[in-house]
Amino acid sequence: MNKFSGIYILWYREILIYLRNSLKFFTSIFLPLLFLVFFGTGLKTIFPLVSLPYDFAEFFFPGILALSVATMALSSTMSIVWDREFGFLKEILVSPVPRSYIALGKILGAASTALIEGALLLLVTPYLGINFSLKIFFGGLAVIFLIAYGMAALGIFLTARIKRTESFSILLQLIITPMVFLSGAFFPINNSPHWMVSLSKYNPLTYGINSLRWVILSHTLPTSTINQLTTNSFISSLLIFILFSIIITILSLQLFKRLT
Amino acid sequence: MSRDVKNIQEEILEVIQVENLRKKYGAIKAVDGISFSVKKGEIFGFLGPNGAGKTTTINILCTLTRPTTGVSYINGYNVNSCPNQVRNSIGLVFQEITLDNHLTAEENLFLHAMLYGVSRKEFIQRKIEVLKLCELWEKRKMRIEHFSGGMKRRLEIARALINQPKILFLDEPTIGLDPQTRKKIWDYIFNVRKKKDITIFLTTQYLNEAESCDRVAIIDHGKIIALDTPENLKKMIGNDIITMKTEDNEKAETEFKQRFPEYSIKRLGKEIKIEVDKGDEFLPILVKSLPSKIISLELRRPTLEDVFLELTGRQIRENNNGKLEEEIPSFDLSTLFSFFAAPKKEENNKNSKK
Repeated sequence: MNKFSGIYILWYREILIYLRNSLKFFTSIFLPLLFLVFFGTGLKTIFPLVSLPYDFAEFFFPGILALSVATMALSSTMSIVWDREFGFLKEILVSPVPRSYIALGKILGAASTALIEGALLLLVTPYLGINFSLKIFFGGLAVIFLIAYGMAALGIFLTARIKRTESFSILLQLIITPMVFLSGAFFPINNSPHWMVSLSKYNPLTYGINSLRWVILSHTLPTSTINQLTTNSFISSLLIFILFSIIITILSLQLFKRLT
Repeated sequence: MSRDVKNIQEEILEVIQVENLRKKYGAIKAVDGISFSVKKGEIFGFLGPNGAGKTTTINILCTLTRPTTGVSYINGYNVNSCPNQVRNSIGLVFQEITLDNHLTAEENLFLHAMLYGVSRKEFIQRKIEVLKLCELWEKRKMRIEHFSGGMKRRLEIARALINQPKILFLDEPTIGLDPQTRKKIWDYIFNVRKKKDITIFLTTQYLNEAESCDRVAIIDHGKIIALDTPENLKKMIGNDIITMKTEDNEKAETEFKQRFPEYSIKRLGKEIKIEVDKGDEFLPILVKSLPSKIISLELRRPTLEDVFLELTGRQIRENNNGKLEEEIPSFDLSTLFSFFAAPKKEENNKNSKK
């Protein structure tokens, strides 16, 4: 039998559910914008921006974009907890499709829905005073897909073992929330105390956000300024995140194989 | 390899073969050495109370759980070594609903078809066939969240038929449904058997449903305690059954034993149960010869309930109040603590439920 039809159908299901659920679709676009407008404007008033060589929106936008894409991908794959709760997971697991194909279909589906969200949000870029070009759009899409893919795989890795929905909320609070705060999306990690900087080095999301910042701001800010906003150079950030994605894919597929 | 694929050339007459199957969860023996075989085209019923090992057996046969020891063959394939071939030969309806609530009936079927490698062209034909068979054709564009319990069940049966399985497994197909819907589901099951040349293996704890099977295995505490056609099973305990209420059961029992030592008599709560050859002829004799005052008298043919009672000494419904309790999702410090301190406990609970 064609095993790829298994990957395809799980990918298709993710997209279908995302696009059909108009409320989810709307909030996935609206919430980041809300963040950008209210939270961004609010924070702007506190930060002593006069001394900084960049506009606050330029700093804030790539972080929020990466973050919403990451949350989208994570929550899509972590929905296997609900699939388990409502019994649907069993239907997939008992099918003759190999487990690793199932996990891969789910990861790719989650990454694709996040890509749709990311593409729509990328179109906001020119309205924030950031220089925009086709190169930035497609480069940004590529990085967004990578971030979404890595986070989707992480979602599978974290939830494959969870049998109860209560454990899921604990996981969300203990792993995802610190990851978000330590990623440099809300404030430049470089200016933080030493212990926070060293913690953020172990956070994969940091490198994802670094990469996206490098791509989106490449036409707007000089390299030296972007260096202040990121922890690593573009190439090393990208490579570290790709490495993370590969490792987490292998781990999550292994874990998913033993799922019961 | 020869042990993995049995008699692949010749036609397989026994589509399910189980030899000495055991499954232990820690100290609990969920399945304790069962052997049986199911013939092609049969409706084979597994009858037993909750926790008797029915679902565990189905899970093993469907490659979802690995047995501790024992071999089983489905459609000629060894369940342990050829799980993928086994999964391709079976259709499965679980005890709980496993539909995707977000999708429509049609999309659920499509998802299943793709998972089982059915081509699009074939799917379109089969979809019409199974949806009409289960009378859901008009509802095909409706989302599952708006379906009733009976409709969901029917759709699940339709879905299980999409990959044209040789054997259909139904784990308590009518649990939680009202009697009317239950009867309808059974009509569909018979209909499916008639039209699709398929073998059906089902579990149930309803005795009247077990009577509709071609053969029934009665399972208790992980062991098969009887296996035969419902008629033969009922013949096992003999003939007619008279249940009687008297003013003084104890006295009536001793009197009966003196007068008719050849018949067996049992006291069951407030009633006395007597097994006799020809109930209709015996009844007048009984009334005439028993000095105790009789309050009520009933004559009936034996049911599977009587068989179960005879074999185990208790009624099938007695331990039926231990239904799965729904866990209430909550978040407080103690759950947080238990999450780290005792993750094992959760698993033990899960196992003991099976």
